[in-house]
Amino acid sequence: MRGGPLFWLVVILLPGIHFLLRVGFGAGPLAPDFLTLALLLAARELSTTRAAGVGFGLGLLEDAFSILAFGANAFTLTVLAVAGSRTKDLFVGESVSFFLGYLFIGSWLRYAIHWVVAGQEVRRGAGRVLLVEAPLGSLYVAVVGVLLLLATGAVVREAR
Amino acid sequence: MPPYEVDGSEARSRRGLVLSSAWVLASILLMVLPVPVQQGISAALRGTLLAPFLWTQESLNRTRIRAVEIEALQARFDSTVALLAAQSTLGAENAHLRALLELRERAGPAFVSASAIRPGTRGSESMFLLDVGSEDGVAVNDPVVAAEGLVGLIREVGPRNSLALDWTHPDFAVSTMTLDAETFGIVEARGGTFREEDRLILSGIPFYTTLEPGEVLVTSGQGAVYPRGIRVGTILSLAETEAGWRRGYWVTPAVRVGSVTHVLVITGEEGRPVSELTHLWAEPEPEPEPEPEVEPELEPELEPGSGGTP
Repeated sequence: MRGGPLFWLVVILLPGIHFLLRVGFGAGPLAPDFLTLALLLAARELSTTRAAGVGFGLGLLEDAFSILAFGANAFTLTVLAVAGSRTKDLFVGESVSFFLGYLFIGSWLRYAIHWVVAGQEVRRGAGRVLLVEAPLGSLYVAVVGVLLLLATGAVVREAR
Repeated sequence: MPPYEVDGSEARSRRGLVLSSAWVLASILLMVLPVPVQQGISAALRGTLLAPFLWTQESLNRTRIRAVEIEALQARFDSTVALLAAQSTLGAENAHLRALLELRERAGPAFVSASAIRPGTRGSESMFLLDVGSEDGVAVNDPVVAAEGLVGLIREVGPRNSLALDWTHPDFAVSTMTLDAETFGIVEARGGTFREEDRLILSGIPFYTTLEPGEVLVTSGQGAVYPRGIRVGTILSLAETEAGWRRGYWVTPAVRVGSVTHVLVITGEEGRPVSELTHLWAEPEPEPEPEPEVEPELEPELEPGSGGTP
């Protein structure tokens, strides 16, 4: 991935867009989870420590609206950031298909970790969340993420 | 030289691991912080970094209400004016009667209107923000109602905004009664697999008490949180029976919380619980059918001096 200025500009703007759409415009789940997307993209470019710090900060912002499971988002995004950052040592991928898979799995993990750490009060049925909501939401994030990467030139489509 | 590079890389890796673990630990610490501290952090973030987003939704809500509901508001206004006109003499009459009975003025419920803002972020289910706070007289545990009935109650209060829970919260419970005050029970939230399936259940009904579908439930006033008479919902169907001694009923909520944008907070007056509110939500009772006129039986006229016998 070529993390140029445009890429970083988009990554920095994504959390703002996330809160603008979900909180400001009240779009809720109709808007993709730009917070997770920003974190997964940034984690590939940052050191593990910085990525964890970014995850903690973004999660804390999301937790400001959570009274039932305060801290669950911060924990989830911190762990996700660490995992995302470590993937660059394990998988070297620059292709569209790699990022589709990376964003899909990362986003699905975000649902899964949050489901585990969120309290009984927030937790819904595992089957519905992990097999219905999470795959659909993750696919949404992955497709939007890849389109953004292509638009910013951070990823170039492979020649056939 | 190679050994030094390896050591440096290992040291960096170890330091990275320690620091990232510290972030993870910090996030775990957040989860176990005392609730007041958690609330303080949340309120600080909502009041600073996230304030523009909340302000955006607040403005959009106001614009939407002004644009879309103008006809509905006009209709309500017309109905209210008609009602007031019809009852214009009641106030004076009531005051006169109270003066005759040497009663003090009745303390009416105090309402504060507010815009409800739903964050829509993960973990923010069952809660909404209001643009009124302690400066407006709002306090923790004040009931929140809409035109249709009970929405929830205030959980946290800031100077100019507050956080409220709606009836879908798992801890939600309210003592209710039927409109005739014959049957009492506890209404609780029962979460569905999806949020759209969230509904209410009325429990604690004696086995030999049968409630009909469509029967209206209002708050009973017991428990000192919700004043008596706020509409909660209507009986839908029988949900469960327990060993022949208790029944539970599904309740259709009076308010669909997802669509609520404008609410009222019942603040009470001078720390006193608010008074009876049944009349605000109770459906008007159908007028009794006029009984067929029966010719009054005329008593036979007594002739003077007959000694009182016919």
